[in-house]
Amino acid sequence: MPALKSILTHSPSIVTRKTGNEYVLIPVTNNIADMNSVYTLNETGAFIWEHIDGKRSVEEIINELTEEYNVDNKTAEADVLSLLEEMSKYLIINK
Amino acid sequence: MRNYNLNIAGYNIRFEALADGPDLIPSARFLRNITTDNNSDILIRVHSGKFNLPEKAEKVFSAPYVEEMNGVHINHGINFWSIWKCHSDLYIMTVFPLSSPDKNALLRFSLKQAEWDLWIDSTGNSTDPFEYPLDGLVLYYLTVIYGDIFIHASGINNAGHGYLFSGVSGKGKSTMAMLWANSGSKVIHDDRLIIRKTAAGYKMFNTPVYNNDEPGESPLNKIFIIEHSLKNKLVPVSGGTAVSLIMANCIQHNWGPDIIARLLGSVSIMCETVPVLKLYFKPDRSVIDHILEHE
Repeated sequence: MPALKSILTHSPSIVTRKTGNEYVLIPVTNNIADMNSVYTLNETGAFIWEHIDGKRSVEEIINELTEEYNVDNKTAEADVLSLLEEMSKYLIINK
Repeated sequence: MRNYNLNIAGYNIRFEALADGPDLIPSARFLRNITTDNNSDILIRVHSGKFNLPEKAEKVFSAPYVEEMNGVHINHGINFWSIWKCHSDLYIMTVFPLSSPDKNALLRFSLKQAEWDLWIDSTGNSTDPFEYPLDGLVLYYLTVIYGDIFIHASGINNAGHGYLFSGVSGKGKSTMAMLWANSGSKVIHDDRLIIRKTAAGYKMFNTPVYNNDEPGESPLNKIFIIEHSLKNKLVPVSGGTAVSLIMANCIQHNWGPDIIARLLGSVSIMCETVPVLKLYFKPDRSVIDHILEHE
């Protein structure tokens, strides 16, 4: 689980496609796509994914999600941390 | 023959035997695809003998020889075919265990060039240059070049409406094709299809797998991801879910991020215009009524 002050970037070993408000993520290991690990992000997940940019901290992403979707901070924190945990193979943590 | 053209799924593939090349004899399953149209999309020059891979060629993908018998996959443990890469050139190296155990071949091709070279090493003076598995491999890379989609699916045309039923082995593709055939619909194919975007919209095409396959095509109006069930049920899916379900059933070699991204793009764009539904179905006539009631 990344700490709130962590700054994350997308792994370069990934093929992505935005379709409507959603994303499809396909991990690529040693030049081969892992089609058993295709991941789909809904609209909220897509918002979080697009804010993982190598500059924002996890805490900043939570705050922006709170503002964008008008949810309380605790709920946004739980959503973001849970998603980051699930997507850990698509992410790199810049400490 | 010294040369001929095949039209498969709208791709015009020309084979030319060079002076050192063997006589070309297409197998029975390709005879209905021979065309007099010489305007080829891809030219394959056929040579006799061995051609050695460049020393710097790197193997990017390989497949064991696996046979499916009564739903059981048997791995014969032999090297079947492999894909190699050297700069922008690609190579397919293969043997032909089903038809010609003493024959092997190397195809040099490129995703950017329309002229390819095939070396066939066999004892005879004549050969089919498109024997299994080369036919499927060449067709797969044509779909990559043209941004098309090669998919495990059966397809039918009912009164001008084209329905595609996709699923991996055992999900009911052939059963679905048989049910529609029994109700008078035209079956495009019961196992694999190529989907192409045309000026008139999306179309699905068959490819010659069996000796009695007539070339067939149909507009593509709906895609069903099928699953056996005790009750017929349709669940529309869209966006990333639809794309992921279709990607899982595409025929693909899964190597090269550019190739994967290209297919992902083609599937995503298709899902914006062609409805995708999950279909839980009882394997009897009732599923046809269920689909038609929901038109």
